[in-house]
Amino acid sequence: MRAALTFVMVAVAVLAQAAVVNRLPLDWPAGPDLVVGAVAVVALTTGPAVAAACGFAAGLALDALPPAEHTMGTHTLLLCLAGYVISLLYRNTGMSGSFGGRVSAWTALGVTLLAALAMGVTFAAIGFFTGDPRVDLPGAALTVGIGTAATAVVSPLVVLPILWVRNAFAEVDFATVQGPMSPGGW
Amino acid sequence: MFRDSSRSRLTLLALVAAAVVLLALDGRPGSDPVTGTARAGAELAFAPVAGGVGHVADPVTGLYQGIKEGPEAADRIAELEEANAELESELEAAALDEDRADQLDDLLHLSGLGEYEIVPARAITHVTSQGYAHTATLDAGTRSGVEKNMTVVNGQGLVGKVTEAGPRTSTVLLTTDHNSSVGARLEGSGKIGVAGGGKVPGAPEADLTYELFDMETQIEPGDRIVTLGSHDGAPFVPGVPIGTVEEVHVSPGALSRVASIEPAVDHASLDTVGVVVDSPAGDPRDSLLPPKPDREEDR
Repeated sequence: MRAALTFVMVAVAVLAQAAVVNRLPLDWPAGPDLVVGAVAVVALTTGPAVAAACGFAAGLALDALPPAEHTMGTHTLLLCLAGYVISLLYRNTGMSGSFGGRVSAWTALGVTLLAALAMGVTFAAIGFFTGDPRVDLPGAALTVGIGTAATAVVSPLVVLPILWVRNAFAEVDFATVQGPMSPGGW
Repeated sequence: MFRDSSRSRLTLLALVAAAVVLLALDGRPGSDPVTGTARAGAELAFAPVAGGVGHVADPVTGLYQGIKEGPEAADRIAELEEANAELESELEAAALDEDRADQLDDLLHLSGLGEYEIVPARAITHVTSQGYAHTATLDAGTRSGVEKNMTVVNGQGLVGKVTEAGPRTSTVLLTTDHNSSVGARLEGSGKIGVAGGGKVPGAPEADLTYELFDMETQIEPGDRIVTLGSHDGAPFVPGVPIGTVEEVHVSPGALSRVASIEPAVDHASLDTVGVVVDSPAGDPRDSLLPPKPDREEDR
């Protein structure tokens, strides 16, 4: 139930990004990124392998959807790595508390913001180092800044519903189990 | 340092490898069956959704444009408030349709003048998720006869060229993109140059710049440029207006003259466009340029 709902919501986020956000007649260079928020929430509430798979699937869908203006696989790779790293860090730095504990909305929004910033910077860096003539430093800084700000404003629309689903349908029985072998690492 | 099961690491490794393979496949020139199939599959899901969004978005777009016009529209809003609500919404819908019909009229006028055979389409995306490329998606694809490397125009002039064509959608590289360069000719003369969205060293910041190869040519603000035309009309058919010269820069020691161009087309608010599926038998020369505005009238 939880997995199916999450799948549907991530798919909706990807389609909304391609069909609605990219359609907006914006006067500035970058729009909000809905997908990174969806992947971040899933990563916070699951293990690294599943998070990586979710990022991979969402990124692949985003790459394949029109417009076909960048090399297919860029979003796939970056979102896959983003999902894995978020999940790994969250599990390993003790931020998660006891295993199975609930993720607060502020954590999810903060992580989304950081992930959006990292995605923007990485995208700009890839363009910069592969010699893409579209990317120059001031332009990229502006695009990353505006993109991250737009994502920060819009991401609650994506993050909060998915987080609610992830928390509401979580198997909370595990939260009370504190075995000698904590699966959460240190 | 960070603990993770080896199985989970293996999954990550496999996924990263798959993504890198995709990058390598799609990075090669020409079309690839794997990425082509993926794009066609994604389009199957995208086309109906984009169509649905189009139905919902049209009234919203009208509203947005109204808001954008802002304070100037205040008087008009007061006027409109007197009309009853039903009439008002009817009026708005009609105005929007009329606007679109006008755009289509312009488009037909331009294609008729140039004897281009066009397929009408609408731009259904304007921005990309990371914002660097200037591209748009059209709601017409190979099923409507759109192929890669076709010219895209609207009623005002050149929009760009088709870089990807799926069955029901296609991707257009706009002339203002940094990777776009169009062979262009100065109005009234055969002096050729290149119009592109990329930055030319020593040139001013502009959406579109025009690099003229002949240093001796006199070029002045107000001069207009049209496409030169490519071999067999791909990717650009001849004679489509590109824009008007705004400012000419001559830098000492440069090998070419550079001018900033005011594009004929407003690329930010593209709506109805036409894909030129068949180029004219002859070059239409300057016949597509609208009559030059009379400067004396402005004073």
